[in-house]
Amino acid sequence: MTAETDGAPSTPAPGDRVRVERDGTTFEGVLLPSTTAETFVVKQDDGYNVGVDREAATVEVLEAGVYAVDVDGEAAGSAVEVDDDLPTVALISTGGTIASTVDYRTGAVTARFDAEDVLRAVPDLAGRANYRGRVVANILSENMEPSIWQDLARAVAEEVREGADGVVVMHGTDTMQYSAAAFSFMLDTPVPVVFTGSQRSADRPSSDNVMNAVCAVEAATADCAEVLVCMHATTSDDRCALHRGSRARKSHTSRRDAFETVGRAPLGYVDYDDETVTFRREHRERGTVDLACAPDLEPEVELLKFTPGMDIARLEAMADREGLVIEGTGLGHVHTDLVPVVEDLVDGGTTVVMTSQCVEGRVCDRVYDTGRDLLAAGVIEGEDMLPETATVKLMWTLENAEDPAAAMRRPVAGEITDRSVPWL
Amino acid sequence: MSADTADAAAPDRDYEALGLVAGLEIHQQLDTETKLFCACPTEAREPEAATERFVRYLHPTRSELGEIDEAALEESRVRRRFEYLAYDATCLVEADEEPPHRVDDEAMETALQVAALLGMEPVDQVHVMRKIVVDGSNTSGFQRTMQIARDGAIETDAGEVRVADLMLEEESARRIEDDEDGVTYGLDRLGVPLVEIGTEPDISTPEGARAAAERIGMLLRSTGTVKRGLGTIRQDVNVSVERGARVEVKGVQSLEDIDDIVRTEADRQVALADIAGELRARDAAVGEPTDATDVFEDTDSDLLRGALGDDGVVRAVRLAGFDGLVGREIAPDRRLGTELSDHAKRHGAGGIFHTDELPAYGTTDEEVAALREAVDADPADAVALVAAGESTAEVAIEAVADRARAAVEGVPEETRGANEDGTTRYLRPLPGAARMYPETDVPPVDPDPGDVETPELLTERVDRYVDEHGLDSDLAEQVAYGERMPLYERAVERGVEPTTAAGVLESTLTELRRDGVAVDRLTDEHLLDTFDSLADGDLPRAVERVVERNAEQVDTEGMGAFSALMGEAMGELRGKADGEVVSDALRAAIRERS
Repeated sequence: MTAETDGAPSTPAPGDRVRVERDGTTFEGVLLPSTTAETFVVKQDDGYNVGVDREAATVEVLEAGVYAVDVDGEAAGSAVEVDDDLPTVALISTGGTIASTVDYRTGAVTARFDAEDVLRAVPDLAGRANYRGRVVANILSENMEPSIWQDLARAVAEEVREGADGVVVMHGTDTMQYSAAAFSFMLDTPVPVVFTGSQRSADRPSSDNVMNAVCAVEAATADCAEVLVCMHATTSDDRCALHRGSRARKSHTSRRDAFETVGRAPLGYVDYDDETVTFRREHRERGTVDLACAPDLEPEVELLKFTPGMDIARLEAMADREGLVIEGTGLGHVHTDLVPVVEDLVDGGTTVVMTSQCVEGRVCDRVYDTGRDLLAAGVIEGEDMLPETATVKLMWTLENAEDPAAAMRRPVAGEITDRSVPWL
Repeated sequence: MSADTADAAAPDRDYEALGLVAGLEIHQQLDTETKLFCACPTEAREPEAATERFVRYLHPTRSELGEIDEAALEESRVRRRFEYLAYDATCLVEADEEPPHRVDDEAMETALQVAALLGMEPVDQVHVMRKIVVDGSNTSGFQRTMQIARDGAIETDAGEVRVADLMLEEESARRIEDDEDGVTYGLDRLGVPLVEIGTEPDISTPEGARAAAERIGMLLRSTGTVKRGLGTIRQDVNVSVERGARVEVKGVQSLEDIDDIVRTEADRQVALADIAGELRARDAAVGEPTDATDVFEDTDSDLLRGALGDDGVVRAVRLAGFDGLVGREIAPDRRLGTELSDHAKRHGAGGIFHTDELPAYGTTDEEVAALREAVDADPADAVALVAAGESTAEVAIEAVADRARAAVEGVPEETRGANEDGTTRYLRPLPGAARMYPETDVPPVDPDPGDVETPELLTERVDRYVDEHGLDSDLAEQVAYGERMPLYERAVERGVEPTTAAGVLESTLTELRRDGVAVDRLTDEHLLDTFDSLADGDLPRAVERVVERNAEQVDTEGMGAFSALMGEAMGELRGKADGEVVSDALRAAIRERS
């Protein structure tokens, strides 16, 4: 409905201060963008939003454009001071919500991405390092692509080359494990590269972003040269776990401690209270390798989960792919009827790797007939690699290894362990 | 008691003439099956029953302009550690480890019922908001709240009171322990649905405030879906008199206290306004705090020594023209000095001493004289002092001086807490506009008021119990308003004599309780079983009456009368007895007769 002011028709627009009348009830406040055509959403002066039926309401614009609803997130700059005694940490953003802010007047949540914004959003980071911020992507992590991993890896390598003592990659949690695994293969790094994010959005006071960011920076300045995932170790704000990038997995849809190291205890911990980093196992120490970046990836790789009753055509459709990782059952099986199809795939030039949907444990296709048949068909045992990690590794080995099949069986970045010792 | 205080306690004040304006804000927990945003029960738990504990911190979040809410910042300046207890009755939603579920239907329906009872218009679309709260009582750092309806009114004996708005929101977590390490909260209460009803400031007498609260309380209880017992309803009252200021009194636990609270607060404002008038007439002023530690170097006062500790200091401030007024009573057993003391306490001191009450507590005339000298006080002046560690004493005496300056101006606007004796104490400044933003995890709700059944009012219920159940009006009211009303209804439905049911539930149980019997352990099922066995005792007599009434038919037809009499016997017992049992008893009675 259109209101008449001073005889001139004016259409109320989001951001206008309006008075909405509906059956004798008056709502005064700022008009917000509404999600449906049937309702006006008004933010009243007491802060409450209400939806008012468009048809039944009359709207008067009290003042047009009192508030710019489409705020572009530009905020006053704050000079970041450099302290020569502190290490330098590169903060690389991919668009995770670890540093977003909220507009209380419109209720919109704005994601913050550059280093200064991160520092403004997480003041606790100040005094721990000198920061260099860099935005490589601005996407939701479910929209991550292998091509972005390549851009990211090049960016990280550049930061390290330019003297960063550690790198923190702020990443959405949904696909963090894939990105961390990709980095593990693409990069030889003399300094820590630490992935972190938050399970609770940064606009809430309870967000895990502050502790995760602080612990990630502590890890990035520690004596380590690995790709790590740094996230809450428990539901409490007490310590973060450091997971080796090639063995991390998101195992819960919403908990703060969703990430775990599969088959092992985490590589280390960062204590939030006393800000100490401890490693539980042997790890690569700072400066023990030279920087190298091998970002080439073969994108034509699929991960296929086998289920009872699976249409054989789904497997046959993989014929044109360069690589296939199967998430099989138990020790690494599929229905025996599928074995000839697998053989055809291998004969056709597709590299096929077997992993297990059990997630925990090691594939062994020598115990049962089905497994032996699969081996005979040319399947590569994925050892104790995570299915997701194996997928990323296959993308990498197809481009970077002389013999991808042999490379898949060989540990490159801790993704395969020799000994199954889950208690360590 | 001085002449002033006798006046302050005058019982027959004309509050309307004083320009009393009051408004209510009533928070009532709902007794729904599940919580507002998850499927957990709304049951309380003992801290000992906790199955898990975890620790969190809250961080103030920034607005779009990069600013942090002042109140939130203030609260979070000290990094506070919050510990939470999880129970069998809580899930990941309370722990802020899972997104909230959709708005609970039963809670929404009850809120709409309340809206209907208050003559309010529901909004077309309800939007859930987050209200930032960083004291730890909400694991998320905000309270989820939504405006359900607007613009209603209730009728009371003291006239109409308009109802401004009705909110449905989640109850906060239960505070269990508070020490220097932080605060411990139980999650059992977090998420219990709460309705908040705010009235317009249409109330002009203490009785009117109570009448409005009673009316709203009655309407709320009429839904049959509200929690009962301590802490399940909280009433805040906004009070001002013409010469006073808007003061919000929080946490009035009992309905019966509301008129007293309003009266005492109005009186307090009048007394403070009188004091302000007198102070201005005396050209009163407040000096700058100075050090007076030397004065009490060798004091024999244990109280002062205790407050000073090992290396404490005394900070004193000259209150020019205040002599005799600091000690003046403004509410029962509360003086202007008590107000000053409240502010000192809020800043960490144990309290204050002032010259209207000195020498006392083991201080001497000489010390008081030296104190006056230390701050250049004349006989017309008063002196207030704080004894504490240096940093605490500094801020506390400043707070005292600020409050004293405000006393010259009149009545300060503030938030106060209700004390058990009907007086109030200073809590904090009035809150700023609450900072709210949308709860994007919960989709908006289009309420359907057409689906809502308006419940029978408790007042109507009382009338029905009198007219149809034959209860006397006192008992009818007791039952209808009592916690066991639903049980009474069930008992009567099962055929228990209404007077018997009411007597057992209202008198017998009360007597047993007074005798020390643990009647609280009796469940509804226990009591219904008892009623059933009572009914069994009635059975032979009822059958007897039926046979008696139809003696002629039984005499002539013998067992042939059975079918006709069976229906009547069942009717007599109003279906409360088992058919087979009735049939056996009836056969026996007929056989005996024929």
